[in-house]
Amino acid sequence: MIWLVAAILPALAADAPPDAVKLQAPQVEYHVNEASATTSPWVDANGWQIVRAPGKHFYYDLSASKIPSARVAPLAAAEAFVYGAQASIHTDQAGTDAFNRMLDFLKTIPGADLPVVADIGVVDDGSDECGELMNMLARRNLLYKIVTAPDPKLAVNVSLGSKEYPKEGAADPSMLAQKIRSQLGDEHRSLRVYGSEVVIARLESDGAHARVHLLNYAFRPVVGLRVRVAGSYAHQTVRAFGKPDLKLQDAAVSGGATEFTLPDLGTYAVVDLTK
Amino acid sequence: MPGPYPGRAVRAHSEKCIDSTTSRVDVPTVRQMMSDGIRTLTHEKTDRDAWAHFVGPKDVVGIKLNCSGAPQIRSAPEVVGVIVDNLVSLGIPPENIYLYERFLDQLTSVHYERYVPEGVNIVAIETPRGSVLGYDPRVYVEVDFFGEDDTRSNMIRLVTERFTKIINVPNMKDHQAAGVTGCLKNIAYGDFSNVARSHSHEKTNTFSFIGTLASTEPLRSRTVLQVMDGLRGVWHGGPFSQYPQFRFFPKQIVFGTDPVAIDRLLIDVIENKRKAEGALSIWDRSMENVKRGHNEDIRVNHFIREPGHIEFAGKLGLGVYDISEIKVAELEV
Repeated sequence: MIWLVAAILPALAADAPPDAVKLQAPQVEYHVNEASATTSPWVDANGWQIVRAPGKHFYYDLSASKIPSARVAPLAAAEAFVYGAQASIHTDQAGTDAFNRMLDFLKTIPGADLPVVADIGVVDDGSDECGELMNMLARRNLLYKIVTAPDPKLAVNVSLGSKEYPKEGAADPSMLAQKIRSQLGDEHRSLRVYGSEVVIARLESDGAHARVHLLNYAFRPVVGLRVRVAGSYAHQTVRAFGKPDLKLQDAAVSGGATEFTLPDLGTYAVVDLTK
Repeated sequence: MPGPYPGRAVRAHSEKCIDSTTSRVDVPTVRQMMSDGIRTLTHEKTDRDAWAHFVGPKDVVGIKLNCSGAPQIRSAPEVVGVIVDNLVSLGIPPENIYLYERFLDQLTSVHYERYVPEGVNIVAIETPRGSVLGYDPRVYVEVDFFGEDDTRSNMIRLVTERFTKIINVPNMKDHQAAGVTGCLKNIAYGDFSNVARSHSHEKTNTFSFIGTLASTEPLRSRTVLQVMDGLRGVWHGGPFSQYPQFRFFPKQIVFGTDPVAIDRLLIDVIENKRKAEGALSIWDRSMENVKRGHNEDIRVNHFIREPGHIEFAGKLGLGVYDISEIKVAELEV
């Protein structure tokens, strides 16, 4: 087994720190024969845990994953990169080779110090319920950030235990996320993703330059993904892992928003939008 | 839609058009039914003049198939073959004729290529299933039914960018969600992406969604003719056909431009057959009879059925629903 470290740019490492926060193997689980609140596939994503513990070290133990290491290791590396985490990845030789290919790709992405875009503020009380709510928001691409107090610049602020968001309402985090979505209104969302339930996006922008990170948690390509970003950006550039010749299709700028289609999304792609 | 013949339909019936035992189609009889039907609808003496009411040599024609019950129940290739022959006779190059359906596995199981001239395009839109690339990102109906995040249903790109005319060739089938599936369901759910999201648990939003999709331009105005293939049908468990005991043989083809009027006739065909077989009425909305996973039970509904989608489509202006205002020319071949 080999330990790898994914930080802003990943690197090899001998071991993980003892106080590192354990993350699950990123993946999609299809529980077609189990009753659930939603028919959507279950996405095991870790971004919400990373943003919840800034400055912490994280580790992915992929040794027990049923997914071949060559598939899951690059996704773990990309996930850590997207959320700016310093993370160790426990994998085998096949995973290391795939990790290194992702590392080579990540090195091609120009640095950009852009603020994360959020529509929703979550006052994190540290509870499991709040964590699961953030997980649900992320899975639905409802952009949030953790705040210490309601932020008037955000369209919606959520504080569990408040009159508007009583604790008992968090017992069904999927329903609560839907309530928040309704309060925000789809037309006011900074980002929408169409054509897949297994892609999680992260948006950064300073107003003149926006960057969209797209992580595909299923280990098969998404053939055709439509993305809508608030703001008018005349120029769009895509960089996609494993697909150096990928071009965006059907780009359109209208109604104060920019849309484009990725014809083929593998594990990870980043789209830069400029005025 | 509803085109030049609102509230009108021509029904061509023949006992010998298909063998009820072997399911073998009598092609000469079907050709005669097609000829008699289209000429009666248009009041023309020749097939050529009749078909010229709807398409011309410069058109690019899409033929919307229905293959959801394939390989057994589908737009009969013998019927589709006659349509294509008539289009070619009008001077439309085979390259400008498209047979299309959303899903590749269903489409390829029928082998339409054996029934049409070389050069005719036979196209599945979603390859692989779930791909949005065959749909137009600019043309969509947006609605949130059950909190799904992808709230768009996009129109097939060939419809918006390539076809100038569309001929709709549905079957006569029961539909567990929509009540029945005929012209409206085939042209609506068959020309848009991401439509299965309208059903969840026992609830289905087909009542309003079918008509809404069908009335969206340019689909609405480019769909110029309905040819309902009722050689075979499904009276329970539709739109699929995994149970042979629910297949039957209406032995008819219905022609018109008004999808609402033809689907109104379809309600009676399916309802009468279900009644004869002792099945629940398609209008039964009792929750006591709604159970999941009992498709083979004719006294059980999978969803709360919504056959009212046809009347709703009529109210959107897609055609005439009132049976007393529908004129049907009955032909016996």
